Amino acid sequence: MLVLPLAICWFSAVGLAILDGRRPTVAWTAVGALTAAFASIIVLATDVISGQPQQVVAGGWLPGVGIVLRADALGILFAIVSLGVLLAALLFETLGGVRSRSFPSLVMFLATGLTGLFLTGDAFNFYVFFEISMIASYVLTAYGEERRQLRAAAIFAVVNLLGSVLFLIAIAALYHITGRLDLFGIGARITEVPSRTVVLSAALVFVAFSVKLGLFPFHFWLAAVYTGTRPAVAAILSGAVANIGAYGLLRFGAELLPRELGFSSPALLVIGSASILYGGLQALSRNTLPEVLAYSSIGQAGYILLALGIGEQVGYSAAVLFAIVNSLNKGLLFLSENLRGWLVGAAFAVGGFSVAGVPPAAGFVSKAALFRAGIAEGSVLLIILIFLGGALSFIYMLRSYQRRFWVPEAPPDGQPAAHGSSPLRVRAIVVALALLVIALGVWPEPLLALSRDAAAVLPPVSVESAR
Amino acid sequence: MTIMSRHVARLLLAPTWMVALAVMIKGYADTGDGFSAGIIASLGVLLQYLVVGTRETTQLLPVRYAREAAQFGLLIALLVTFIPVLWGDPILTHYPRPGESVTHLGTLELLTAVLFDVGVFLLVLGVATGVIDLIARSRERRPT
Repeated sequence: MLVLPLAICWFSAVGLAILDGRRPTVAWTAVGALTAAFASIIVLATDVISGQPQQVVAGGWLPGVGIVLRADALGILFAIVSLGVLLAALLFETLGGVRSRSFPSLVMFLATGLTGLFLTGDAFNFYVFFEISMIASYVLTAYGEERRQLRAAAIFAVVNLLGSVLFLIAIAALYHITGRLDLFGIGARITEVPSRTVVLSAALVFVAFSVKLGLFPFHFWLAAVYTGTRPAVAAILSGAVANIGAYGLLRFGAELLPRELGFSSPALLVIGSASILYGGLQALSRNTLPEVLAYSSIGQAGYILLALGIGEQVGYSAAVLFAIVNSLNKGLLFLSENLRGWLVGAAFAVGGFSVAGVPPAAGFVSKAALFRAGIAEGSVLLIILIFLGGALSFIYMLRSYQRRFWVPEAPPDGQPAAHGSSPLRVRAIVVALALLVIALGVWPEPLLALSRDAAAVLPPVSVESAR
Repeated sequence: MTIMSRHVARLLLAPTWMVALAVMIKGYADTGDGFSAGIIASLGVLLQYLVVGTRETTQLLPVRYAREAAQFGLLIALLVTFIPVLWGDPILTHYPRPGESVTHLGTLELLTAVLFDVGVFLLVLGVATGVIDLIARSRERRPT
């Protein structure tokens, strides 16, 4: 059961690579395969969340000798969200007409990488699946193959290859220190090592995942890439691929290196705050929608770091919740970027409200969880900062909504054709995503329970005691 | 290129592949595997491109099937990985299992692990050759 989603994604990726993805039948086959993988992940999730984590050791070796595939509540939750956003983006592009023969196959390769990454229990395999998904996303960024997409792909590939190398060095260092590559073994042995030996690897892991997530001092690639790519790919990058950063920080930071996470908590809070303010202010000063969304992503990544810096179960579950809601928001907003019609306007408004944390959108639930974590930490400054960040994002989302949907664009040569609505079937995806965001905001109980289950996977080391 | 280097490059192709094959087979008792074998074999191909030139190399070697080789190799490796799941074994279970009798071909033991390495070999060789060919062609189109 554990290997089924991985097998579906991988075989269909290889199979589709031979075929011409521009043909509708091929694209629809990819949609079918991804739906099957998504369904099997959900079936797996019902087993994992209600019962015990599932584990398979490759080749039937002993655990610790063979490579481990492992599904627990944290990994499976991220896998569901990422595959869901991928499915929405693939469906969006299929309905709108795929423009390149490799697009469906690349999406499936990306799905393979992400599924493997979230369901592996082995640090080196984490790196391998990480690279599979990153290489697929480098090529996906160039999708459209115009000058600006190629430029975006070049920037994305160079910066993120540096991040990957840092991560590989960190894994090698962890292996050198502990003599183990399975996450469980590393976590068990790392506490016996003096902290100063581990701190360099911990810093490398932090930088590698921050680059991926687009946090403030490591964000410089993000705006150029998100504005350069096509909307569907931007939705994939910010809704699915950025999850690697959040998941990696939780898995490696909170599970493997809780001690180092504990004493670097002030630094995390500072970087997170800087990211929130920088992203918010930059988004406020930008005029085009893709730029606003790109800088907004930087700000939103700051909240995840803030929650991680607060630590403990309440902080971790807020981080999980925020990462999930954020990827839904960004998927919705990037997909509705170029569409027209009042339905899209309404969907965009829902996404904007969700980013700002206004009820009844799901963003409110995640902001509330952050407030709760801030109160648990007992810091007035943090609560003011979260409120300020929310106010900033409310202003910039409202401004871009007005500019995008209220101001009638001057027709370039008097043609009214530019004002027609986009095809209904394309808009339906955006509307469905918006309804999902509202549904999760109105009835948040399942999502809250899931994020608590996911945070319960991480060791309950309190930050205070680690200090 | 001098006639000397051309001949040496041609002559080196077969031994390079022989070494690649040896590295792959040795992998079951000594250092080596399909990945490094694929790298060595594609180094042999790279030497031809550098010395003989793109046009003659593409005439000499079936470079145009690089893409198919990579896909076929990946497919073999994936099948070896996932097929044991069909009868309830974990992924990447290799047959015959430890302790069971193995068919020998000289010193080579015929395991499914060999098939997996052949897949990896084809994948690496196909991708590396494809990339070399792509770069060589793009240089030829735009002479510097």
